[in-house]
Amino acid sequence: MAYPYTHEKEVRVLSRGWGDPATRTLEGWKALEGYDGLAKALEMGREKVIEVVKASGLRGRGGAGFPTGVKWSFMPKEKKGVHYLCCNADESEPGTFKDRELMRWTPHQVVEGCLIAAYAIQADHVYIYCRGEFFEANQVLARAVEEAYAAGLAGKDILGSGASIEVTVHQGAGAYICGEETALMNSLEGKRGLPRIKPPFPAAVGAFEQPTTVNNVETLCAIPHIVRNGGEWYRQWGSEKSPGTKLFCVSGHVRRPGNYELPLGFPMNELIEDVCGGIPNGRKLKAVIPGGASVPIMDAEDCDGCSLDYEGVVERGSMLGCASVIVMDDSTNLVKQVRRMVDFFAHESCGQCTPCREGTTWLAQILARIEMGKGTEEDLDTLLDLGAQMTGTTICVLSDSAAVPVASSIEKFKDDYLSLIRRGEPVGAD
Amino acid sequence: MSRPTRSSSSGDIPFRNPGWAGNTGEFDLSEAEVRGTEYVGRIPADGGHPGASATRPYMLEEKEPSAPLFEGPFRERFEKILTRYPEKQGALLPALGLAQELRGHISPETMAEVAEMLGLSEAYVRGVTSFYTMYNKRPVGRFLIQVCTNISCNLCGGDEVLEAFLEHTGTELGETSQDGLFTVMEVECLAACGFPTAVQINSKYFENVSVDDVPALLDHLRSEVG
Repeated sequence: MAYPYTHEKEVRVLSRGWGDPATRTLEGWKALEGYDGLAKALEMGREKVIEVVKASGLRGRGGAGFPTGVKWSFMPKEKKGVHYLCCNADESEPGTFKDRELMRWTPHQVVEGCLIAAYAIQADHVYIYCRGEFFEANQVLARAVEEAYAAGLAGKDILGSGASIEVTVHQGAGAYICGEETALMNSLEGKRGLPRIKPPFPAAVGAFEQPTTVNNVETLCAIPHIVRNGGEWYRQWGSEKSPGTKLFCVSGHVRRPGNYELPLGFPMNELIEDVCGGIPNGRKLKAVIPGGASVPIMDAEDCDGCSLDYEGVVERGSMLGCASVIVMDDSTNLVKQVRRMVDFFAHESCGQCTPCREGTTWLAQILARIEMGKGTEEDLDTLLDLGAQMTGTTICVLSDSAAVPVASSIEKFKDDYLSLIRRGEPVGAD
Repeated sequence: MSRPTRSSSSGDIPFRNPGWAGNTGEFDLSEAEVRGTEYVGRIPADGGHPGASATRPYMLEEKEPSAPLFEGPFRERFEKILTRYPEKQGALLPALGLAQELRGHISPETMAEVAEMLGLSEAYVRGVTSFYTMYNKRPVGRFLIQVCTNISCNLCGGDEVLEAFLEHTGTELGETSQDGLFTVMEVECLAACGFPTAVQINSKYFENVSVDDVPALLDHLRSEVG
């Protein structure tokens, strides 16, 4: 069965095996040059692997866009104790649905990426922290790990190289915040998923108090291809600062939502109009969230001519995040959707910092009041003031993230708020 | 919180999703028919390789709320899990998952038993259990129906799908239907945003579920019980 959402403009590197059940097996993955990257990495030696990844310019695909090779080089060169690699597979940013597909279609791509990365940073153990709700992905990964062990690709003395790396699939239990790297490590240790104060950074004191690197699934999936083909090869796509391909998760009001692997820098107009078939029902574009619920909302003018890479989206006042493009047509009332997102952040706040624990709930209550047609114009000032106090005042950025859609929607779509306030009727009453 | 609802444009989405059911209406497609493999939920009884032992299905079909922790294959899996973490405490989340798989929910008694096994205090385990949404703190129905109403699903009618599940099961949000079959809950983003509305029923995802699909989907679930 072919993966049904493909487009001729796609460059399918990471998504190459999607839709073919055979790719889920070791044999099927090997047929796509699988584990050649691992064999090559073991021959090259770990410093060389880090160099190649640095040369490729690969940036972390979990949202922050930090250069992966540089992150790896923060790990201690002289090993004193145990090192860990955590694969962040706790995908739960609203609008993002790429990692689940990577894991359920190409589990060996994930495992191979983990093994190469672990080798580069001298990790003894890889924990794939996979989101709890992903029962399917967890089982698919679990079977892939078994196959890898049986084939001598994981465990002791991998492929006769002397390197030993253990791999464990760790299934989460339902908490968005565990996608934050330090919360993930606490959760792995059997604690509540509370983010930690940094410094110390994970490369110094991470999981089980040992040096640790946390990488996103998509980042790790790019590694085997980069090692196999070289850093320059990866730079044939994208821009100088944002090289390579990226999975774009498009959802909302488009004819063909789905995952599309495209070169970074792809034009937003073309993504929505051509690749995704445009907006249905004769509607017009109203707003786009380009990188998941945590980034500022863009209006149609911001979107026009926007280049989808890390720099291009920042130029238009937002962030690429994990390239989770949520498209909204002109029938959408932003107040309702922003309220829903803030409800989410209020539910997912871990509760340890007061500005976030209280602030997210207050924002949600005020927004619900406006949505019901019972708001006042002063409420908008209160929302902005609250949001400002929630920004930069907490351990992690969940608090900042909750304030972002509120502030950007008031800035760009004030009429949605004002019409509800002035009419005094709930959303949908018109 | 009461919510105003309105049918937002669900769009003329022309494709069918290869996940279970999707908008094909063929709810009894097996995993093999959908994807050509029989991977899902088929974990070896003994948990397989230790590296895979910390994964699990949500709940047994026939829950055993008073089953001992842990015996037979469950004991074997628990022992394997313990070998994968440098500290016993690391095994807490997988152990709670294993207990829930068997018993269907995590009662205060279960928390105490797990605490005992891992050398942790009961209060500590309760603190951890209450942090995570996937541990059911009270019994749920045979089918735990979790409907995503977060932004991407919401734009395409997630609220209405949730309403439809409540209406057709005759239950309240978070409650279990009188026949003990269905518990309906709202869930945060399931990471299937391109296939709205995403619904998780026990361990399985159902994607592209529309209001019109709900009665047939529920009938299908009822027929599974026989």
